[in-house]
Amino acid sequence: MARMKFLCDAERCIECNGCVTACKQENEVPWGVNRRRVVTLNDGVSGEKSISVACMHCSDAPCMAVCPVDCFYRTEEGVVLHDKDMCIGCGYCFYACPFGAPQFPQTGAFGMRGKMDKCTFCAGGPEMDNSKEEFAKYGSNRLAQGKLPACAEMCSTKALLGGDGNVIADIFRDRALKRGKGAEVWGWSTAYGKPDKPQQEAPKGAKS
Amino acid sequence: MRANLSGVRHFFLGLMLILPLFGGTAWAQAQGQDTQAQRQQVQPGNNAPTWRKARSSVEGYTATKGRETGVLIQSEGETWRQLRNGPITRYGGWLVVLMLVAIGVFYAARGPIGLHSPPTGKMIERFSAFERIAHWAMAISFCVLAVSGLTLLFGKHILLPVIGHTLFSWLAELSKTMHNFVGPIFLFSIVVFVLKYIGDNWPRAYDLTWLVKGGGVLTGEVVPSGRFNAGEKIWFWGGVIGLGAVSCASGLVMNFPNFDQTRDVMMLANVVHVIAGLWYIMWAATHIYLGTVGTTGAYEAMRDGYVDETWAREHAQYWYEDVKAGRRALPSGEPGAAASATATAPPQVQH
Repeated sequence: MARMKFLCDAERCIECNGCVTACKQENEVPWGVNRRRVVTLNDGVSGEKSISVACMHCSDAPCMAVCPVDCFYRTEEGVVLHDKDMCIGCGYCFYACPFGAPQFPQTGAFGMRGKMDKCTFCAGGPEMDNSKEEFAKYGSNRLAQGKLPACAEMCSTKALLGGDGNVIADIFRDRALKRGKGAEVWGWSTAYGKPDKPQQEAPKGAKS
Repeated sequence: MRANLSGVRHFFLGLMLILPLFGGTAWAQAQGQDTQAQRQQVQPGNNAPTWRKARSSVEGYTATKGRETGVLIQSEGETWRQLRNGPITRYGGWLVVLMLVAIGVFYAARGPIGLHSPPTGKMIERFSAFERIAHWAMAISFCVLAVSGLTLLFGKHILLPVIGHTLFSWLAELSKTMHNFVGPIFLFSIVVFVLKYIGDNWPRAYDLTWLVKGGGVLTGEVVPSGRFNAGEKIWFWGGVIGLGAVSCASGLVMNFPNFDQTRDVMMLANVVHVIAGLWYIMWAATHIYLGTVGTTGAYEAMRDGYVDETWAREHAQYWYEDVKAGRRALPSGEPGAAASATATAPPQVQH
């Protein structure tokens, strides 16, 4: 069984926020909630890098560990999901999560928390797959349709990869090897030299 | 293994000796690689500084507006998780159990604190209606908070396996809502209670004597005290005021998350709140014991407002003498000397 993971390639992410928009559109998330966000470090200076972040579906998930009603569960594919019918809106998962994934729509005065909402890896919730109830509470269940998360599918530079951990790790490894480091990153070998090809000789004969 | 280690040690010792030979340039270069911009000058494609930054809770830029949305990874959550799920739940839970067991053992060994002389049948007013309302408003809201708080902390381990997810989540939702709404009521009732009772809880010199003699609880001696004894005064200052202030302040931080307080502040408040709350519950358990089955006539005093004169003389001698001598008024405000006049006709109390 595949272990679903997210991977964001900081060399490729261009902070277009396409993943954020794709997620909102696909899942019709509650107002004020962003299941995914893009954070830029060293913004505007040399060395700027952007990273797209959402629920990482941890193996030892802190949200699951601290939930007082034990409303979280893990699917066979390693996706961390929760049951909104059980959630009491205490905010503990929001405290514990390293990635800031759990969020709460405000349901009353003084910041009263509603049911927690977070990225589902586009895998819905405990309701029947692709049912109306499931969509209303958790959004799209693309995994049940044989598709991968909308954010990663939509990524314009394929910086964000989502899927079987082994597969995306291979993709990333190949990419890193081809990309290499140093001058190769910027395409010097492509532009200035392919040593295994014979040197192109200057055309002979008199110029016309 | 030992040989390997000594080899490693020699290697590092060697390095330490050799490094200065390269002079300050290599060192300065390493220092200059702290930022991504500097690092990629020397090692293009090496993003270590970026990942270090991502891990360090530094806030970056994000188009997603909100509290701490620019933080990629925060570490405090894991510390809080280890504290809350570990020692706080484990030792806190056992301490509460231990306290209840200790009270049970004390009751079995010592039994209730009774009266030494037979009751006179003459009743004296101990608490006014307002004082009793102030006490019970605080006591009832405290019990609601204690039960709901214990449910939220230990219910997952004790109730959930027994009553199942559906019923427990309903109970936990109720607990959370009650806790959040009764909390501010509790705070208000503490303020009213403290203002009303602070005068009679002011420390006096004879409180020390009472403390030294342990209130005569074990010896059976009748130790004189004011309206409230030193034990009650310590509970008033340390419990009602001290733990009340700590648990209310930390509770408000979590109850009103709409002031943009960050996660680490709320987690710190949670740890303080749970520790103060458990301590409060354990201390209150002793007070509830001594105010009900532990002391004959104590519960009736706070329920009906009246105690027998023997009870007043044995539990609050100085107060009783002051009231009888007319030096101070009765709790409801009637002149104290009138007590002896009305005492012949004790009020009929409906039980």
